[in-house]
Parts: sequence; C-alpha cells; structure tokens
Amino acid sequence: MSEHEGYILELQGITKIFPGVKALNNVQFQLKRGEVHALMGENGAGKSTFIKVITGVHAAEEGRMFLNGQEVHFKGPRDASAAGIAAVYQHPTSYPTLSVAENIFMGHEKIKNGLIQWKQMNQEAKKLLDRLDADFAPTAEMGTLSVAGQQMVEIAKALSTQAKIIILDEPTAALTANESEKLYRIVDQLRDEGVSIIFISHRFEDMYRLATRVTVFRDSQYIGTYDVDKISNADLIKAMVGREISDMYPKPEVKIGEELFRIEGMSRTGYFKDISMNVRAGEIVGMTGLVGAGRTEVMESVCGITKADAGRVMLEGRVLHINKPQDAMKEGIILLPEDRQKQGLILKWGLGRNVTLPIQDKLSRHGFNDEKRERELAKKFLEEVDTKAVSIFDPASSLSGGNQQKVVVAKALAQDNRKLIIMDEPTKGVDVGAKAEIYAIMGDLVKQGYGIIMISSEMPEILGMCDRIYVMCNGRMTGCLDRREATQEGILSLSMEQGDSKKTQEVEA
Amino acid sequence: MAGKSGRTIQAVPQNSVKKMLLSWEGALVLLFIALNIFNTIISPSYTLTNVLREMPKYLAEIFMLFPMAYILVLGDIDISVGSIVCLSATVACMASNAGLPMVLVFAVGLLVGVACGLVNGIILTRFTELPSMIVTLATQIIFRGIAEISLGSGGSVSLKNIDGFNAIGGKLGKVPYVFFFVMIAAVIFTVILAKCSFGRKLYAIGSNSTAAYYAGVNVQKCRLIVFTLMGLMAGFCAMFLTSALFGANTTTGQGFEMDVIAMAVFGGIATTGGKGNLIGGIISAFIIVLLRIALGQINLNSQLILVIIGALLIIAVLIPGVSSNLRARRKMKTTA
Amino acid sequence: MQKKSIWKKLTASREASLVIVLIVLCAVVSIFSPNFLSPTNIGQIFRNNALIMVMAVGMLCVLLTGGIDISITSILAFSGMTVGMLLKNEILSNTFLLFVIATAIGLGCGILNGVIISKGKVTPIICTMGFMYIWRGLAYVVSNSSWASGSDVAGYSDFGKDGSAGPYVILIVVFVLFFILMKWTKFGRKIYAVGSNAEAARISGINVDRTLTSAYAVMGMLSGLCGALSVAIYASAQPNMQYGKEMDVIAACVIGGASMNGGRGTIVGTFFGALIMAIIAKALPLVGIDSIAQNTVKGVIILAVVILNVVTQRMMDRQNLERREM
Repeated sequence: MSEHEGYILELQGITKIFPGVKALNNVQFQLKRGEVHALMGENGAGKSTFIKVITGVHAAEEGRMFLNGQEVHFKGPRDASAAGIAAVYQHPTSYPTLSVAENIFMGHEKIKNGLIQWKQMNQEAKKLLDRLDADFAPTAEMGTLSVAGQQMVEIAKALSTQAKIIILDEPTAALTANESEKLYRIVDQLRDEGVSIIFISHRFEDMYRLATRVTVFRDSQYIGTYDVDKISNADLIKAMVGREISDMYPKPEVKIGEELFRIEGMSRTGYFKDISMNVRAGEIVGMTGLVGAGRTEVMESVCGITKADAGRVMLEGRVLHINKPQDAMKEGIILLPEDRQKQGLILKWGLGRNVTLPIQDKLSRHGFNDEKRERELAKKFLEEVDTKAVSIFDPASSLSGGNQQKVVVAKALAQDNRKLIIMDEPTKGVDVGAKAEIYAIMGDLVKQGYGIIMISSEMPEILGMCDRIYVMCNGRMTGCLDRREATQEGILSLSMEQGDSKKTQEVEA
Repeated sequence: MAGKSGRTIQAVPQNSVKKMLLSWEGALVLLFIALNIFNTIISPSYTLTNVLREMPKYLAEIFMLFPMAYILVLGDIDISVGSIVCLSATVACMASNAGLPMVLVFAVGLLVGVACGLVNGIILTRFTELPSMIVTLATQIIFRGIAEISLGSGGSVSLKNIDGFNAIGGKLGKVPYVFFFVMIAAVIFTVILAKCSFGRKLYAIGSNSTAAYYAGVNVQKCRLIVFTLMGLMAGFCAMFLTSALFGANTTTGQGFEMDVIAMAVFGGIATTGGKGNLIGGIISAFIIVLLRIALGQINLNSQLILVIIGALLIIAVLIPGVSSNLRARRKMKTTA
Repeated sequence: MQKKSIWKKLTASREASLVIVLIVLCAVVSIFSPNFLSPTNIGQIFRNNALIMVMAVGMLCVLLTGGIDISITSILAFSGMTVGMLLKNEILSNTFLLFVIATAIGLGCGILNGVIISKGKVTPIICTMGFMYIWRGLAYVVSNSSWASGSDVAGYSDFGKDGSAGPYVILIVVFVLFFILMKWTKFGRKIYAVGSNAEAARISGINVDRTLTSAYAVMGMLSGLCGALSVAIYASAQPNMQYGKEMDVIAACVIGGASMNGGRGTIVGTFFGALIMAIIAKALPLVGIDSIAQNTVKGVIILAVVILNVVTQRMMDRQNLERREM
C-alpha cells in the first residue's frame, strides 16, 4: 500500500451510475497533504457527483477510495465527516430558520448530560466566525444572511469538525470581487494550517490564485492532472472542452438590420437598476457577468415573469405593456429559461405536449384540443432541431441534458410569431456535440432576421457567438463590448466592477 | 426543413386493449363487478329497485368529485367542501321557508356555494405562499360556523314546504333525476379535463406550475376558476341533498370532504398533482356509493362505514408509493 | 433611538409580541369583567384548556416538520373511549394504568400515522384525514355507541375533578419536558432540522424518516394521554368527545408563531398562543358575542394570522431587497 502514502486522499476507478446515465466513468483523483487542488470541467462533467461520492452522499458502483493510504468505505455522510472530510456545497445546504451557531454545529452539537450547551456553542461559533472575519452574530438566523455570509457559515461548519480535507464546490460563483478576495485569504490561511483543499470552480482566476495542481473531468471521465504553473490557458480549455474552441462557434455573417428591441432605464428593487440595452434584427447579443449579477432577473422582467418597478420595453419602436408571460409571448418575445428542468419543461410529460404547451390555445378549436395537429407540429419542430428521441410520447425526463435543451428550443420554434428570442444559459449542462447544434440553430435564427439575447457565464461561447456583449455587475450594466474589441480580460474586469456610474456611458456606445 | 441527420420521430399514438385492461381503470371495473356480487351476497335487499331508491342522498356527493378531481390535479386540496354544502343547504332551506319561489331558492343555494368557493380562490391566489390545506381548513370552520350562527340555538332547520325540493328529487321511471344530472356533469367535466385546452393546463400546473407559468399558462386564474367551480358544485350537492333530507343542520355535509377525496384518490388521481383522470374517479365514486348502500342495508354501524372508507382512502394513497417501491426493488435486482 | 430599539426587540421576537397581545387582551377583558383575572378564573381557564394545550405541544412537533395532523381528536376519542369502557365494564380501575394504556394507544396511532407518511410518502393531510374517521369510528365501535357516565368513571375522575391538581401537574410536566426536549436535546433539534431543510438534514446524516415518524408519534402519544385526561376532567366518555377541536390546537400553534412550512415555532410561543385562544374563547360571551359564533371567530383568527404572517414576511423581504446595494 506504500504507493498511496504521499496522498491524503486517493480515489481509483470510480464509476457512479444514475438511472440511465453514467455520471462518473472510471475516474481517479489524488490529493496531496496540505495542497489546494482545483477540480475543473464543464457543467455536467461529473464534478459535483464526484464530490458527493467523496463525502459519502452517493455510493459509487465501482472503485476504491484511500484515506491516508488506508482503504475506506463510507456508508453515509456521517462516516465521511467522522473521517475529517467536510464539503461546502454550491448551494448552501443550510437550515434557513435556524441560528448560525446551530447550523455550524448541526450533527456534532456540544452536548453535556444529554443537553445541548447553547452558550458554549455560541461562544465557539463566535470564535470561528471571528477567525473568518465575519460580520454577523452566531445567533443570527441563517435565512437572513447574504449568500456570502451563508457560505462563510458553511466554511465555519467545516472548520468546526476539525476537518483535514475541505471541499469547496464553486464557492466564488455568487460572490463579489471583495468577497472572493476574502475567501482567497481564508483558503490561504486554511492551507497554511495544514488543511488539504479541493476547490471546484469555473473561474480561471480562482485556480491561478489558489491552486497548485488542477484535475480536469470531461463528460464523466478523468482527463488529466496538471501543475497549474505548467499548463497554458489554451491547453486547459482544450482539456475541458475536448477540442479547439475555434471551430465550435459557427457564427454566420449576417447583415444586421434595424433596431428590433430596446429597454430603457429598467429597475427592480433589490435586483437590478437602471438597465438599458438594445438588440437589432439579425443580431446575437450576449449578456454576461457573474452569477447573481441580475442578468436573469432583467430578462424575466422583460418577459413578464416578474414585474419591474421602472423603465420601459420597446419592440419595433412600440412601447410594450407586459404584465404577465402571455403578454410577452403574444408580442413575440420568447424566453428559454435558465433552469430547463424546473422552468422549461414538464419532465413527466411527453416531448410533444411540452413543445405545444405555449401554443395550445392557438391550436385548440372552441376550447377543444386538436391533438392530431399538435402531434404533427411537435414532430416537425422536434425533427427540425434534431432531437435524439424515438417518439414524441417519450417523457422529457428520459432525455439527456442536451436533448432536453433541444426540446426547449423546439418549444420556442413552435411559437411562430417570434421576433426576439432570449436564451438563458442555453448550453448549461449540455454535452459538446449538442452545444454545437444549438449554436447552429442560433445561427439559422439570426439568418432569418430574428434577434437573440443570450445570457451566459461561459466566456468562450459569449466571445464566439455574440455580435455585442453586455456585461452586468451587481445589478447594474457595467459595459457593452463589440465583438471585435471584446476579450476575456475586458469582460472579466467589467463583471468584477463595483457598480459605479463611470462605465454606464459606454453602454450607450 | 427536415432533420439534419434525417432522423425521424414517431408521432403515432399507440393504444392497445391489453394496456387498457391492465390500467387502474380496468382494475376498477373488475372491482366494481366484484363489489356488486359481494353486495348481493351480504345483503338480501340489494336489488336494483332498492339501490335506486336509496341512491339520491349518496349521489349528491358525486357532484363534488368532479371539481375536487380538478383541484387534486392542480396539486391543491379543498377540505372546506363539506362546510360549503352545510352553509348552502342551510341558506337555501331558510330562503325556502321565507317563501321564496323554488327557482330563487335554487339560485341562492348555488350562489352561496359559488361565493364560498370564490373566497377560497381569492385568498389562495392573492396569497400564493399559503398552502391550500391550511386556508381551506380555516374556511372549513368559518363556513360551518356561519351556518351554525344562521341556524341559531336549535341547530337545525326543516323545510316547511317540500314541494319544490320534492320536484327536483323526483324520478324518471325508477331512476332519480339526480342520477341524470350527475351523469351529465360527469360527461362535461370528464371531457373538459381530457380533451380541452383548459384541462391540459390543469395537468401542466399540477405537474410543474413554474414551467406552466413560464409557458404562458395563467396559473392563478386557473386556480381561481377551479376553486370557484368547487363551490358551485358543492351548491349543487347541497340542493340535491336537501331534496333527499328536507332540511339541514349543523352536521350536514360533515365528512363529505373525505368521501370525495377518497373517491378521487381511489380513482387513481394523485394527491401530488398532475396525474389521474375522471373516468377512474367516476367508477370509484360508484364503488363507494354502492358499498355504502349495501353496508347501510345490513344495518352496519354508520361509524364503521366511515372506518371502512377511511381505510380505503389510506390503502389507495399507499398503492402508488408501494408499487413504485416494489418496481425500484425489482429493477435493483435485475441490474445487480 | 433607544426607544425604537426596544420596540424593535419586542416586535422582533414572536414570544414578546405574544405577551404584549396577551396583556392587552387581559386588560380589555378585565374592563368588561373585573374579576376575570381572579385566581379561580385563571385556574378554570387552564383546566378547561388543558387538553388543547397538551395537544398543541404535539402539534408543534408535527408542524415543525412541515406536516399536519387532523386525526388527533379522533385518537383522543378512541383512547378516551377505551378508558371509559374499561372503567364502565369494571375491567380496570387503576388511574395510573389507565393513563398508561391510553397513552400507549395514542403512541401506536401516532406511529402508524408517521410510518405511512414517511415511508409511504403519503401527504400528511390525506393520511391523517383517513385516520380521523377511522379512529373516531373505532371509538363508536369499542363503546357500541354508548357513553361512560359520571357514575361509571366515579373514582377515576377524582384525578381531574375541579380543584384537583392532576390536570395542572400534567400540563406543567408536559410543557417543561417538551420545552427542554425541543430546545436542549438532539431529539428536538432534529425535528427543527428536518422541517427547516429535509435534504440538508439527510446529507448531514439525520434519519429523516425516523424523525418524521417520531414527531407524529409524539403527537399521537399526547393525544392518547389527553384521551385519559379528558375522561378524568369531564367525568364522562362519549365517542364524539372533543370533536372538531383539532382546529383549536392548530390555531394555538399558528398564533404562537409556528410556520405551516416547517422549521419555525417554539414551545413558549405555542403556550402563549394557546392561552390567547383560550382567553378569546372565554371573553367572547363577555363582550357580547354569542358563544354560537365561537367557531367562526376561531376560523377567522387562524386565517387572519396566517395571512398576517405572509404579509409581514413580504414586507421583510421587501426591506431586505431595498437594503441591497447596487
């Protein structure tokens, strides 16, 4: 067993199968004592599942796991935490109605004579929070904290278990630049104290700033482990995406037409402020920024999902009054929502019914469904986007992420009055092949003169597909870049910007 | 534009007799037949004539099965229905005793039902954060409470003039009118749920209300309509119940919510929303009604009948969970 | 500034605002009926509401998990009727044993509820609705629809008769015990955790199904206990006893700050909630509202409180949003 000795944690040949999918296929991983190790890969590459295997939430079908050279078998999360492994998940798995101290000590409360020692717990929680430089009390209710605050509590929770290995799953995704910087310092501090850290992130700067080694997963498989200072950015992207990214974006040359759509001065308290932008016919406009910057919220207000407090929306020069989703749909503004499974599809339903749901009223005759026509149309549009399915009666849940996204696209195509198509993270969790097909469909659509707004966090696709790129930060529009002048660095600096007014002039440019 | 890979997707629905027989509705039909045989054995007076004679007071409840099925398909619940029946029957009886013509009495009864349903609907759609369970639990006591106040210390009201109600409680040959009304309502509600755009929307909301909202379904409007419809049908139930009982008291309609929910759930309508159809619901409604009649004929304690129906309800709600558990276990075995 | 912070503190804590409501309520009622706050009257209020209060403790556990139990008064009737029949037929007369039997019956009913809800994945309202009719029906069946009258339960009812300490002792023991259990033991905190976020609880190694079952078991156990207590206090047992009172119990919890979505609510709050309900019920006739309207008032109060909770939550969310810097 001496081969395992250099590593505090080692996994070999891990395979995890979910009904119908191999979420992990024979992957391996090695963590050195006291290192910060980045785990990277696209959405759906299997990183989160892998973390859950390490923490005992999922049991792997195959594979072995060694801790300090000893083989271990975790039967549940409790075993992992007893072995000194703690995870801070992407979506804080907290108890919103309970206090911070209780959240920190959940599962390992301070107990004397069968009674919980609240005083002692609050004191120790206070110590942990002070160490992390937190600005809230241990008695505060968890649900009232910001996402950054909740994450801090999760880290404090990991510390409270004396964890030797801490796993951070996209911890910076919802943080501002300042908060991220604070998190970096905490991670540095932990590493100096001898804690080993696995760090999952989509942000390259996180990796460069913190990690010494990086492991890449792609399509549920292990691709490789590299030293951070020895691998180039391009090689890393290639490892993650699986091919050169240049040939992935079939952006057609389209003659840009008249202005199609414009929003002016839109605000919604607490979500976004003073947003203005426009889209011309045949244009693909990108909208990027960090998660939580307010991109989705702006578009949801445009589409009547939520109501904006101020501002106006104009289509082809007319001011629209949109109060509910039907209003936007009637005007030809079609939203492909971010969360396919919750917002875009009815998973239990067949593909056909999903496709025709938005146009059901139009198809029905005197209130009665015209099922024959529904089936024909569903077939037509599903074939048009080349969905990999046997029949239109297959439940949407049986498809892969990429094909589910195609069904959502077909749903938009079925609405033949469309003028502007808003796609919110259209390729999130979609495999590479399907991605390219979705880009091709986008290209087709703009060729026909429609306008597209694409919200995305993935830099390569934003740079590869968009004519213009709007960048948001903390609820404000911080800039608009043209295809020719846009760079990864430029976008990043705009998305990290604290909302101030000096950049807003650029928006109009 | 054909598929880029030339792939085609099947779009022909496949219905087979075998599938139909294996379905829940098929099982219910068999159960219905078995029950009739069972009833004939246990009760010597279980004849068509007797059953038809005793039927009206049980049939009235079935009016509420239809909108309750809609509510369950939406993923909601309404447990105030028994109280709506009580209030509607009380007010109608009082209106009749006050000398109003029968048409107006009928209208008043239905209006009270509609008003109650509307109250539920408005509260639920205004305060979408509230579960329908707690709201209708509260209105359950409010509606019955208002009936209690109207009835005063006596706690009951009897019709002075039963002619009007006798008329709607009449018979065509041996078959009571209410049977025909129930069947008409059954056809209308079944067709709307299965064949109309409105019905499809209800399934969409019950399966995933967020996705339905994003796809342009007016979720809150649908809920408001359905809860109001529930009130209206509770009004119908109250009118036909009164035509069989000729009065109302503070316990009128007590327990109807369970009967109706049991009919729906036993008919294969999931309480979690988005699943089931009214054909199963109607068969199971008649199963429960006939069971009640037969058990009543052999003078079984009326409370024991409630025990049996309660047990049926729990067995019915346990079936989907248990069967999926078994299926999962079998799947585990085959993959292992 | 100072004043504002005190006011804020008082309104921020549910318990504190309940105490204020309670004081105001008592003051108003005392104007109509000066001897309202006399020791005997207060004693009466506790005795008459002991059942509701004890069951409210169990209901709190259930509501904390995000569930509901409307079968409680039926469990009460079933266990109470069993006690009544054992006494009537002179099978058993030991008070302590009868309480144990009733509590055990309740516990069994509660566990059944819990197992069906947690393992069978049945909606709590549906499951307990079914059992509401089943246990009530069985109460009629065990008694053959007859009553156990005062003379049948003669010696036994001394425990709960006017002036006896029995009901008060049970009340105090139950509240103190559960105050400690819910706040200072893992048992209680698991219930809070499951109600606050069941998925997170599962990940942190809590057995969610068992916790759910235990909440319904506690509820059933206390309902069973109340069955025995009811027979003692009212010196009779009827199959329809405490019919419809589950609403009072739910109302007490909801007024006391329990959330219908789970995870929020305290024993202290529930105590004050139940007390407020009891005083309102007692006060209605005093201020000229017929006792016949009591049910309606109760329903309106529940509805008003849950709506008020939603409205204040919306206001708080709004304030939080406005505070967010952009």
